[in-house]
Amino acid sequence: MSTNNAVSLYLDPQIRDWVLFPITLVMILVGILRHYIVLLLQSPPKMLPREALREQRALTRSQVLRSTSANSPIPPTYYKSISRHLSDAFVAGTYLKDGPPKEGDAPKLPPNPMSDPAAMDGMMAGMKTQMVMMVPQMVIMGWINFFFQGFVLIKLPFPLTLGFKSMLQRGIETPDMDVRWVSSLSWYFLNFFGLNGLYRLILGGDNSADSSRDMTASAFGTPQAAPGQAQDYNKLFKAEKDNLEFAEGVYCWVGEGVEDRVLRRYGKI
Amino acid sequence: MIMSLSSALDKLATFRTNNSRSSQETFKNASIVLKSAKQLGDDGWAVLEQLFLASVDIGRLDVADECLKQLADRFPESPRVDVLTGIRMEATEPPDVVLQYYGQLLDAQSANAAIWKRKISVLRRTGKIEKAVEELSQLLDTFYTDVEGWLELADIYTTCNQYIPALQALSHVLLLAPQNPFYALQFAETAYTAGDLPLALKTFLVVVDMSERDLDSPEKKPPVGISVRAWLGIKLCSRRLMLNSSPSASNTPIPKSLNLIEELATERVLAIYSTKGTPRGKAAEGKDVIAGWISDR
Repeated sequence: MSTNNAVSLYLDPQIRDWVLFPITLVMILVGILRHYIVLLLQSPPKMLPREALREQRALTRSQVLRSTSANSPIPPTYYKSISRHLSDAFVAGTYLKDGPPKEGDAPKLPPNPMSDPAAMDGMMAGMKTQMVMMVPQMVIMGWINFFFQGFVLIKLPFPLTLGFKSMLQRGIETPDMDVRWVSSLSWYFLNFFGLNGLYRLILGGDNSADSSRDMTASAFGTPQAAPGQAQDYNKLFKAEKDNLEFAEGVYCWVGEGVEDRVLRRYGKI
Repeated sequence: MIMSLSSALDKLATFRTNNSRSSQETFKNASIVLKSAKQLGDDGWAVLEQLFLASVDIGRLDVADECLKQLADRFPESPRVDVLTGIRMEATEPPDVVLQYYGQLLDAQSANAAIWKRKISVLRRTGKIEKAVEELSQLLDTFYTDVEGWLELADIYTTCNQYIPALQALSHVLLLAPQNPFYALQFAETAYTAGDLPLALKTFLVVVDMSERDLDSPEKKPPVGISVRAWLGIKLCSRRLMLNSSPSASNTPIPKSLNLIEELATERVLAIYSTKGTPRGKAAEGKDVIAGWISDR
């Protein structure tokens, strides 16, 4: 304790009242505001036309058929007819949104996301959310940097190793100050990453107030939801056809030998 | 009878999740809820929708109109409210007007399954079976995973004595819900009606296999529930197959152990009706009929 006493600092209680609490309060309020702005910005999900939905869901048909094929509930003739029908349809491209591809058509290039208005909307929504997140955080950080640069705000009640110095004392370049003192900028970052629990308490688990989560997500969304990278369903269908053939190889009707199973359970054979 | 608000709410929530129709009871409960609590939050809208459907069902159109008005004010342009409006129209308007209304909605949002299904139900109700089947097939082509849709299609085919297409529709149901023995039973019974006895026998056996899988010693207890029907089905099929082996449309082979199956089925069917302590009356009457039928070779 002697070393601590030697370099002990005395913080003005005004710092607590006019810097520490305002920073925390502003960050919480901005987070809540952000949640509601994101709610306002969200455009209602677009309804796909019938053909697009059919194309999107065509794969589930064969997946449903394949998933039970090793112990299929339906008899062989029915299985075969469904399986054949599906693979024919996949080859012919019946399920494609724009109808089967014509002979001699050039293989279609994936559409440019910038030219497709539907894809553009999806991208814009991501960008808008991103903007709502980035702008206030930049403003707050600027505000703190401008007014409170180099402030020491708080002393943690527990000792820490020297490794935490860069985390807790950002903005104060003193080599020999105790690590327990937290600078204003570091307090901002601690709040930035630590307020999520509080938001969840206030706004419920599904909130969009937490900005640290968005840092990891890109503006263009996750790959499977990406409207920009439109899937080439024709290729997927062709691949699915092979899967269907594999599944037909392992096909076995559940009614195969069921009489023996039942008889055995009753001890008749 | 005064029912507490929370129990009424609970009941309504159970109805919603179980999808049960009980319109009278829903009407009673929802009226209690709406009378005693003006502000329910988001749950209130679900209750309103429920009350609307129930009151259309029991013919209280005044209540239905009130619910619909509130819902439409709160959710303008909601597809779900559009469906409710359509249902309200079905109650009083001629079918052509309703069909036109549904057609307009479908033009705007062609992939709205709820409206599409209402349209099909109106088509079926007004006797345009062909159109209904066509639309329903299209719907199922888009929304393949709709088990209810496939069941409806099978039902339509069955009412038209088209048992083979009905079996095809039911085979999709089986694929989508392979864990449900009731669908397998329906498949088996349809196959029996279609005259495909070997297939019916096999599927009845599958039903038995499924429903008695968890029993430790099934021979000790008489069959209950769904297996009663399945065992009777097995008995019917094996008996007829032993008399004359009919050809199977689906090329299902007749089991080699047909005799054993027949014996076992007889045993099980008799076990159903030989429980000690069954009340006299209907059950006893049934027993005599069954015994007579079995001895009558």
